[in-house]
Amino acid sequence: MTTTAPAGEAAPPRPGPPGAPPAARRRTRLSGDGRLFVLPFLVCFALFLVWPVVQGLWMSLTDASLTLRDPQFVGFANYAEAFGDPDVWSSLGNTVFFTVISCVPLVLVALAMALLVHSGLAGQWAWRLAYFAPYLLPVTVVTLIWTWLYQPDIGLGNELLTSLGLEPVGWLSDESVAMWSVAALTVWWTVGFNFLLYLAALQSLPATYDEAAALDGAGAWRRLWSVTLPQLRRTTVLVAMLQVLASLKVFDQIYILTKGGPNGSTRPILEYVYDVGFTGYRLGYASAVSYVFFAIVIVVSVAQLRLFRQED
Amino acid sequence: MSSAPPAREPLGARDHGPAPGPGRRRLLRYGTAGAAALLAGVPLTGCASRARAGEPSALKVWDLFQGGDGMLMDEMIDAVSRGADGFHIDRTILDWGPSYYTKLAMSAAGGRASDVAVLHLSRLAGYAPGGLLDPFDLDLLAEFGVTEKDFAPAVWKRARYRDSVYAVPLDVHPFIVFYDKDAAERAHLLDPSGHLAPMGSPEALLDAGKGLAEATGRSGILFGHVTDTAQSWRQFAALYAQTGASFTLPDGGPPEIDVDAALRVVAFMKQLFDGRTNPRDLDYNSALAAFTGGRGGMIMAGEWELPTFRDSAVKRLGAAPFPQVFGRPAVYADSHSFVLPHQENPDPARRREAHRYVAEIIKQSLTWAGAGHIPAYQPVLARPEYARLDPQSSYAAAGETAVLDPSNWFAGAASDFQNRMCQPLQSALLGNTSAEKAVRQMVREADTLLRRPNPVA
Amino acid sequence: MSPTATATPARPRRRPRREDSGSPMPLGHGRLPRVLAGTALTVLAVVWLLPFLWAVATSVQSEQDVTKPGLSPFKGAFTFAAYRQILERGNVPTWAFNSVLVAVLVTVITVGISTLAAYGFSRGTFRGRRALLAVTVAAIMVPPQLLIVPLFEQMTMFGWVDTYAAIILPQVVAPMMVFILKRFFDGIPRELEDAARIDGASEIRVFRSIVLPLSRPIVAAVAIFVFIGAWNNFMWPFVVTNDPDLMTLPVGLATVKDAFGVQYAQSMASALLAALPLIVMFLLFQRRIVNSVATTGLGGG
Repeated sequence: MTTTAPAGEAAPPRPGPPGAPPAARRRTRLSGDGRLFVLPFLVCFALFLVWPVVQGLWMSLTDASLTLRDPQFVGFANYAEAFGDPDVWSSLGNTVFFTVISCVPLVLVALAMALLVHSGLAGQWAWRLAYFAPYLLPVTVVTLIWTWLYQPDIGLGNELLTSLGLEPVGWLSDESVAMWSVAALTVWWTVGFNFLLYLAALQSLPATYDEAAALDGAGAWRRLWSVTLPQLRRTTVLVAMLQVLASLKVFDQIYILTKGGPNGSTRPILEYVYDVGFTGYRLGYASAVSYVFFAIVIVVSVAQLRLFRQED
Repeated sequence: MSSAPPAREPLGARDHGPAPGPGRRRLLRYGTAGAAALLAGVPLTGCASRARAGEPSALKVWDLFQGGDGMLMDEMIDAVSRGADGFHIDRTILDWGPSYYTKLAMSAAGGRASDVAVLHLSRLAGYAPGGLLDPFDLDLLAEFGVTEKDFAPAVWKRARYRDSVYAVPLDVHPFIVFYDKDAAERAHLLDPSGHLAPMGSPEALLDAGKGLAEATGRSGILFGHVTDTAQSWRQFAALYAQTGASFTLPDGGPPEIDVDAALRVVAFMKQLFDGRTNPRDLDYNSALAAFTGGRGGMIMAGEWELPTFRDSAVKRLGAAPFPQVFGRPAVYADSHSFVLPHQENPDPARRREAHRYVAEIIKQSLTWAGAGHIPAYQPVLARPEYARLDPQSSYAAAGETAVLDPSNWFAGAASDFQNRMCQPLQSALLGNTSAEKAVRQMVREADTLLRRPNPVA
Repeated sequence: MSPTATATPARPRRRPRREDSGSPMPLGHGRLPRVLAGTALTVLAVVWLLPFLWAVATSVQSEQDVTKPGLSPFKGAFTFAAYRQILERGNVPTWAFNSVLVAVLVTVITVGISTLAAYGFSRGTFRGRRALLAVTVAAIMVPPQLLIVPLFEQMTMFGWVDTYAAIILPQVVAPMMVFILKRFFDGIPRELEDAARIDGASEIRVFRSIVLPLSRPIVAAVAIFVFIGAWNNFMWPFVVTNDPDLMTLPVGLATVKDAFGVQYAQSMASALLAALPLIVMFLLFQRRIVNSVATTGLGGG
């Protein structure tokens, strides 16, 4: 390979490894300066992310409506209303409750599945298929299937209970049960994703520690607790972080399954945004509620990042 | 990820020294590929749906009818689709309730709504003032044989907003009573012609309950309301209207509610559903099941439950308008009506077809009456075939005294307002709270809703 | 997610396939652990497959038989009636077409603009590059679900509600994918490109002939990940489409009802039809899909 540039090229020859002075690098990296590569993305980014972020902020300061009426500036009235709106607080509470009861099993069951599959029993692809396949289903498919399982009279759930001599349960109609039913569905649906992340992490662990421990005569349990799990710590923190953020944003399965009912007991904050914004026409107020929630998400993300940095 | 070096192509060798110019132009072309894709998206817009439906003339109609109603609507659409000038109808059914009304409003806001949609008349105030509906052309409707005088005034006046008509009513569906004629006969509640005799006072209805309970050996009057988001409001609204008091919801509040009248009504409801003669803790479905199973002499329910009661243990089914117990005849009702959701650029020919469709379909409402609904189009009501429908014809008069929800953007069928009114009423009926507290909470809830800025007007 | 947080040595992301079936974490020599692990795996697999199997059983019976009480999965004669009725009604094929169209276009556009942008960010020298990159990375924290209200308003303004453009374009902004790709490009030694440049290759040619071939696995991983996301996306298409002819499978199945009311055999049949495409793809490309999720799922870690 030649190191001399053709005469026509603007760039001076730059032999040698990276680490050459920046001025020289600048010219050779891209004969254009690269902005055209970035342009299409930036156009979309500006149109469909920056614009709505800014517009949402503006709308939250107006009484913008779904109807064809013109919006009026109302200052912080929407925010003031949001902080005093009991439905904001109850739907936030529901969201947090869902996050707690879904994240714990979503991490633990995924870890258990990955450890079991990684133990090397035959039929790897079959286990992976069984655990991961639900993740590939569109949400409506999942809710259709589970609505049928949760059907109060002839659904599988209550048929099983009655065959065991137990009382049937109002899976989706009992206020104290409905959120748990939603969480069960969610674990079934999405645990495969975390399972794959754990499996990948396990497969990339260096075997040396494990082998060394085995040579020292440590049993399988002992090696799991003292060697494998500590090595998975980082993955666990990451999986848990992603999962918390995903669970906070729950909407789809709840909206389709219960519409937030019974009596608002499963309504997450995002559904409240949808309900006040589109069902109740008040786009301005809905934007304000979105931004309150957005602030919470940012706080959680930043807190998690700091926690994660401290781990290192 | 493989980090192995790739099979290296001798790049420079083949492509020797292209001028920077063309290269830059190609880069530009690539760079703008995304922008081109953006533009490529645009031709996909707009006409896509209509073009792909393959039937450019298919009229898009939306409704929320499933089950018995859904199939009757299919029958009516079939009927108007026959013949040389039959319609091509592309019918879409969405879930009954808030999700339907949300989609209806969003489609109208988006400007590409369906040609015709069904709307509960009680919700007109949430749609017409905000520009989400387009008004009907009364001359066009008249051309197709439908005019104001074909409808009961009580209903027609709710189809108007300012000087225009935004809805054409298909039916009136009141909250009524069904009863077991055998039980009623034994309790001496029938008049000589074999229909439920007028009550006239709260005491008479209480006595009727006792009589029916005795006659059936089980319950007297059934009513399902627990966890329901409309039933206890329907019952309250029916009785309240009979007191002659008004219930109005002026923007900004406070609500104009006659607290004494409301107290009388709630106290009476508590007295009626005492948990002994008449059960007070039934949910909607268990009340239906109790009546169809013959475990009660009468049920307060919407007339749309008629098909449910037809095939049941009740051999001689009777029906009557909600009994008048206070001073004024009034029946709580709603009305399924047809509306023209707002379109940004309506095609006049399609609009004309939409008018013709609405006119033709309401003339089919004898079929619709099969499910229990009272046709709003009076010429159908006057036909002898309708008079022969039993028990429908026995409550046909309910349309004349129909009282709908108070008119406000947040009220009406499947609304948050009804749900909020139901919560305190349920507590009161279940004995968890007093009539006074319940009424106070209802006033408070209405006030909360009224204080919210009105997003429609 | 933090960019640096996930940086792990890229080397042995996956072991060669053979070793998978060996015992990477030996269970020891006793039979008991093996039996226990096998039992646990089987029980979990049964629990995870049961809803599927129950749905399949329901879908191949008549509506009447399905509503008979009892625990037996088969309560009547075998029939494909439910599938026939679904296909005759024609909605599901329309929605499937829309789903494929939307998912493919979203994937192509997203991968296209993200790859270009990532390369531009990695090698570019234009002014404001760092700031723009920082904004892009910060945008990873913006959950798209929180933008539905202003986005809908924006689509109304553009007159795009109930169009394919409105379904597709707001889905193509994927800062996370740009970030993942950029980090990959950063790891490619520049010497190769410089050599080609010196030989006179244009920038776009360098990108196409040198960078892209090197990046095929990561681009494929990103594409698969984006495709699954777009195929299964519910909230945005649900908000922006009202016309049933434009709905994708998840939206149509959740929104549009039929005159008869709820029918479980048909509802299971349509669910399974909608599930089929990705399940078949998974069976065909299991390893690629697993890789894609593993590499992209944690932000390229």
